[in-house]
Amino acid sequence: MSAQPLTQTRLANGITVIAVENNAADIVAARCFLRAGGRWETPGQRGISHLLSAVMTKGTTTFSSADIADQVESTGANMGTDVSADYFVLSLKTVTADFPNLLRLAADLLRSPSFPTAEVQLERQLTLQNIRAQQERPFSLAFQQLRTAMYAGHPYGGSMLGTPETIQALTPADLHAYHHTYFRPDNLVISLCGRIVRQDAIALVDAIFGDWTAPAAALPLPPIPTLTPQPGCHIIPQDTQQSIVMLGYAAPSVHNTTDYVPLKVINTYLGSGLSSRLFVELREKQGLAYDVSAFYPTRYHQSQFVAYMGTAPENTQIAVDCLHRELKRLCEVVLDPEDLQASKNKLLGQYALGKQTNAEIAQLFGWYQIIDLGVDFDQQFQDAVNAVTLEDLQTIAQRYFTTPYLSILGPATHVSTVIF
Amino acid sequence: MQQLSAPQTHSAFPADVIRLPNGLTIIHQHLPATPVVAVDVWVKAGATTEPDSWHGMAHFLEHMVFKGSDQVAPGEFDWIIEASGGATNAATSHDYAHFFITTAAQYLPQTLPYFADILLHAVIDDTEFGREMDVVIEEIRGCQDDPDWLGFQALCETVYGDSPYGRSILGTEAQVRERSPQQMRCFHRTHYQPENMTVVIVGGVERETAIALISEAFGSFAVRSECPPLTTQPLPHLEKITRTELRLPRLEQARLLLAWTAPGVDLMDVGIGLDMLSVLLAGGRSSRLVRDLREEAQCVWDVGSEFSLQKNASILTINAWLDDAQLPDVEAMIQDHLHHLQTTPMSRAELNRIKRLLCNDYAFSTETPAQLAGLYGYYNTIAQAELAVTYAERIQRMTPDILQQIAQDYLKPDCYAVTVMRSL
Repeated sequence: MSAQPLTQTRLANGITVIAVENNAADIVAARCFLRAGGRWETPGQRGISHLLSAVMTKGTTTFSSADIADQVESTGANMGTDVSADYFVLSLKTVTADFPNLLRLAADLLRSPSFPTAEVQLERQLTLQNIRAQQERPFSLAFQQLRTAMYAGHPYGGSMLGTPETIQALTPADLHAYHHTYFRPDNLVISLCGRIVRQDAIALVDAIFGDWTAPAAALPLPPIPTLTPQPGCHIIPQDTQQSIVMLGYAAPSVHNTTDYVPLKVINTYLGSGLSSRLFVELREKQGLAYDVSAFYPTRYHQSQFVAYMGTAPENTQIAVDCLHRELKRLCEVVLDPEDLQASKNKLLGQYALGKQTNAEIAQLFGWYQIIDLGVDFDQQFQDAVNAVTLEDLQTIAQRYFTTPYLSILGPATHVSTVIF
Repeated sequence: MQQLSAPQTHSAFPADVIRLPNGLTIIHQHLPATPVVAVDVWVKAGATTEPDSWHGMAHFLEHMVFKGSDQVAPGEFDWIIEASGGATNAATSHDYAHFFITTAAQYLPQTLPYFADILLHAVIDDTEFGREMDVVIEEIRGCQDDPDWLGFQALCETVYGDSPYGRSILGTEAQVRERSPQQMRCFHRTHYQPENMTVVIVGGVERETAIALISEAFGSFAVRSECPPLTTQPLPHLEKITRTELRLPRLEQARLLLAWTAPGVDLMDVGIGLDMLSVLLAGGRSSRLVRDLREEAQCVWDVGSEFSLQKNASILTINAWLDDAQLPDVEAMIQDHLHHLQTTPMSRAELNRIKRLLCNDYAFSTETPAQLAGLYGYYNTIAQAELAVTYAERIQRMTPDILQQIAQDYLKPDCYAVTVMRSL
């Protein structure tokens, strides 16, 4: 798992190829990443990346939707597209013998999608329904409320699905224009891992993608969004069995490594696993919650640090107070060295456990490359975790755990009286 | 279906199955290339073993195991395993409870004794019991806010009736409040005994070391106890379409959930056949229901099918997410597809697609030590571990005729359970 031999190269047309050989199973996984996704969307076209990713597998200038599904499924391969705020990705997993043919198909999808009008219409309807379906889950609603409050007007503020208004307005021509702008070889990273010799993998990518040339026009830069902090308390009254309580704080981008890494350690300390502080204090000792944790996503731009729990409605106020107290505590006290070491071990151990399968390895290195960290970040991150001090933790907690954004969902009688 | 269960298969089982003198089963597989070891302990103490009116016990006990033993304080095991970079968790179902750790191989000798001690000598302290009851009740409340959990639960009740497979593993809030620590200690000491347990160990640890570590850690069990009896409710036999309807607030899309019961693992080939039929119907975009209902008629938002192999009664489900108004038409269209399955053998191309998909899925889901350990442990709990690796071979032997016969016997278009979910 550690120190897999990795080769990275840049083809003549600008494609970055990352290859890792892993002979453990007769499988090859690939991730084709492009610098496209939520960050590159204009406010009037929110959701275009997602719609494009949904329709991308449904027709090319050579193949129909049914042809594509048949080619993938008749070989038992997995192929899918996905999009996040920071990237677009096409994922592929096959048994080794099928890999060249499926990679050829993937190239056709990436290069020559036809966005058939009927398929755009179908996926648009499914997306609209998907947006409605997200309202069914209290956690999704509370998190959406938090994101909206923290990221007004920012691509991280909404779901990747877009809004009903923007989705209704998108046309196949919009998809073609978006595709033409961002889907080009000098904007592409192909990361592979599996039972394939690294040089053969690179030669295969070159043979399949090598004749794709980048347009002369410079790649447009994504807009750099600005944020005005407006911490506050936001409440959704809803007649649920549990209240959901979330505290959010603006948090550093992964590119601010000196702050990012200690905050990752804090996140581990507070929210990771059965021995985490929130789990022990609020679940084990007080029985307040089944689901209580924290998360801090790795983001290109400013991220968010969120601590949350689901609790009985009558405990809503207690939950707010307890979560807030735990975060303030980190600003006030210096942790024990033993806690710091355990959190580092936990973070690094879980990091290693997250790099076991071919797909996980291909994903991690390709992702580091596409968000401009580079594959060396794999080692840099681990070294930086080891170097974090107790003072770092307190400094970072004081810097970021200031006034929180609060998002609460639950029965009106219990949530409307919350004092903060 | 006599001919289906008869032939024995001889796929090489890549792991060793070792039976200790005390009756404990160890399954070991050495993967020299990985520095990770997964240990997965499977106990035949799922919800189906709960005595009458002890509902919710098996799952609640899973929580209490982590509260420690006389030697291991509450939370101490979690700390030991996680502070050395490992991970642990557990799950309970009708047929089993299982507990697993994943750790770097060098920490195994120091973590395994803690793991074994909390499993074999759970203390189930009265105060901790009361506190953890609140956590379990929060877990139940969270599920009550999840429409898909509610729907699946209603479907299970419809298809399995009063038999244990029809009950929620969590129990209801009222049932959980009725549990006592004394009952739980009795349940634990009855079932967490060597002949009911399989310890699977897979990864960067050699056979002799693994056996020595496990024999030592799992050497002494609690003094046996005996639970009150349980009345086995027979599995209901579906003879018509049995319908339930669930009205929920804030539902943004209706659901149509259909289920068929099938024999348990004894008739493994029937299970394999139904697994294949489920893929034929709704596995991937070229499957029959996805193509017809989602892509062409566009009368569902999505449609899926799952087959779940269980010890005594497997289950095949078809789930559609759709507009309220489409419910009757979509159910009729699914019935048409089932009729077609009964009357017309599938094409060779379809058969080959399904075989490739399922065999590859198997390969794709056995990459890590934890995945392998889970697979062997599951099969050893509901039958024998060796069955796990006969999967691909059994799939390859299936023919359109056999699958048609299985559809005729078990996927009847006029004999199933259905739960409809609509907005209030």
